Amino acid sequence: MHPQPLLEVDDLHVEFSTADGPVEAVAGVSFTVGPEETVAVVGESGSGKSVTALAVLKLLDGGRISGGQVRFDGEDLASLDNRAMRRVRGNDIAMIFQDPMTSLDPLYSIGHQIVEALRLHRPVSKKAARERAVELLEQVGMPDPRRRLASYPHQLSGGQRQRVMIAIALACSPRLLIADEPTTALDVTIEAQILELLHELQREYRTAMLLVTHDMGVVAEIADRVVVFYGGQVVEQGPTAQVLRDPQHPYTAALLAAIPHPDSAKELQLPAIPGAVPALRDMPTGCRFNPRCAMAWDDCTREVPPLYELPGGRTSRCLLHRDGGGSAVVAPPAPPLTAELAPAGPPARAPLTTQKGI
Amino acid sequence: MIEYVVRRVLYGLLVIALVTVFVFLTLRLIPGDVVRLQLADAPGVTQEQLDARAAALGLDQPLVAQLLKFLGDAFTGDFGISFQSQQPVTSIIAERLPITLQLGLMALIISIALGVPLGLLAAYKQNSWLDQSLRVVSVAGLSIPNFWLGLLLVTYLAIWFAWSPPLVYRSPTEDLVSNLTQMALPALALGVSGMAAIARMLRSSLLEVMRSNFVRTVRAKGAPERTVLLTHAVRNSLVPVFSLIGVQVGGILGGTVILESIFAIPGMGSMIFQAVQMRDYPVVLGAVVVFGAVFVTVNLVVDLLYGVIDPRIRYA
Repeated sequence: MHPQPLLEVDDLHVEFSTADGPVEAVAGVSFTVGPEETVAVVGESGSGKSVTALAVLKLLDGGRISGGQVRFDGEDLASLDNRAMRRVRGNDIAMIFQDPMTSLDPLYSIGHQIVEALRLHRPVSKKAARERAVELLEQVGMPDPRRRLASYPHQLSGGQRQRVMIAIALACSPRLLIADEPTTALDVTIEAQILELLHELQREYRTAMLLVTHDMGVVAEIADRVVVFYGGQVVEQGPTAQVLRDPQHPYTAALLAAIPHPDSAKELQLPAIPGAVPALRDMPTGCRFNPRCAMAWDDCTREVPPLYELPGGRTSRCLLHRDGGGSAVVAPPAPPLTAELAPAGPPARAPLTTQKGI
Repeated sequence: MIEYVVRRVLYGLLVIALVTVFVFLTLRLIPGDVVRLQLADAPGVTQEQLDARAAALGLDQPLVAQLLKFLGDAFTGDFGISFQSQQPVTSIIAERLPITLQLGLMALIISIALGVPLGLLAAYKQNSWLDQSLRVVSVAGLSIPNFWLGLLLVTYLAIWFAWSPPLVYRSPTEDLVSNLTQMALPALALGVSGMAAIARMLRSSLLEVMRSNFVRTVRAKGAPERTVLLTHAVRNSLVPVFSLIGVQVGGILGGTVILESIFAIPGMGSMIFQAVQMRDYPVVLGAVVVFGAVFVTVNLVVDLLYGVIDPRIRYA
């Protein structure tokens, strides 16, 4: 892969203190993002993906990094003080949030908010900053950018507000852009435009991107690599094309199977993953996915699977790989992602079928 | 915008007129009448003399006629002649209104100048002992009636420090120090509940704003906490506090009636107090119209300033 990663998240633990004591939302997560690389973090709600993204910039509200390192360019951000952290935020690493409707200050013009982002890190005059703001608005595809400077957020649509958020994020030409479900709150046509814009600007600014999403379609479109989260852990990671075509972890396979496909899904019932992500407080013993896994057997409730290194720079956290088995999961054939997973499981003792369930 | 202001002014006039009618009628329900209060104790008063006095004051007319005459005259700025002093009510008010406006303004300044920092402090030190004690102070400030606080202040300052505020009114141009010394305690007593209300409102408002998404955006830009708080969070949290100020003014105006009487301040409040005692109807009604006008105006100004701090507010 990339010889020198830009961002290295190394055994990250994030803890939230609650009335009933601390709860671990992220339990030892590791992944890297190379320069100019796009890495997608996927998983269901509550899998810890957004918390991880916020932890990189230490913007956790009520939570704290309780272990591990977040190295950016070799420097551990987790150990930086507030002052040093402020120099990184918006400057080296910028962030775009999920809900553009509430992410801009309603009392200030968008011009003010872009200029502010710029002048926090660059010694430029207000006038020069305004010129740069016009340029940024133009780049994010805002019509009539000069006049738009004076607009307030409530005068813009959701898509336009997200464009403004992107302009703010790019103001200081960051080397890493963290986008936390940037299109979740937008409707589908706008979503496509915003993704395309992000992708385009990412190339133009030569910035790396950590994209948090629960949308496999988005992943397929723009990510170089994908990191799959479940229950506060990484369960699988690898190059996007390979992971989507040939998932190694049953959870990834089930996620992919749950995507509706025009060719196959018309009559078939869409296979959902049964159950819900367990609460952080009562994670199951053994593999965290075992109660919902169609391929689980006894060992899965007893043994905590490590992340197995697989060929092709891939990893997977499943006991199916224990005996050196490479592709243990038989994935739904791609490109048409059909509903059925072929029966798999450990050799000899797996009469489990996957037809219902997954 | 202009259309909005015009409409608000017309509504305001309607409100004042309705309040005037209401007060006009309730005044007549109070037992005792002005003629007897003025003449009954004089020895050898005949019924003819009483009737003549009533006719001179215009009280022999039917109630509706009196009401319509007052409203009509008031519309041209004439509130009639005081039953008691025989002076035009307008000139009495012109003399006393500035004194009450000064007192009210001082009370408002005290409530804002103390309430805002206390609210910010309570939010900033959320759940600390400081926050807890400010909570107690606020609840006390909201619960204690202002006249009682005024009486306590006078009494205990006299007992503990053998000090009492001047009892003869001096205008600010005449003797500023004496004027402010006399006004300070009633202004404080009037301002405390406003202070408490503002502090409570600001605390909860700021805590809510600090959890909002745009505050996180500002942090993500790399802004220092000072910018997060002062530029963005505080300004947003002031929006709901602002509307409190208009309501405050009503409480302050009402409070002047007793506090001016306690502190011997010759303003509108003490005038209303005496006028009600003497059934001096034109003076009471004139004061009601003026207080109504002040309240309506302040609230209109507050609503217009609202639009200055919050661009989302549009007037239509």
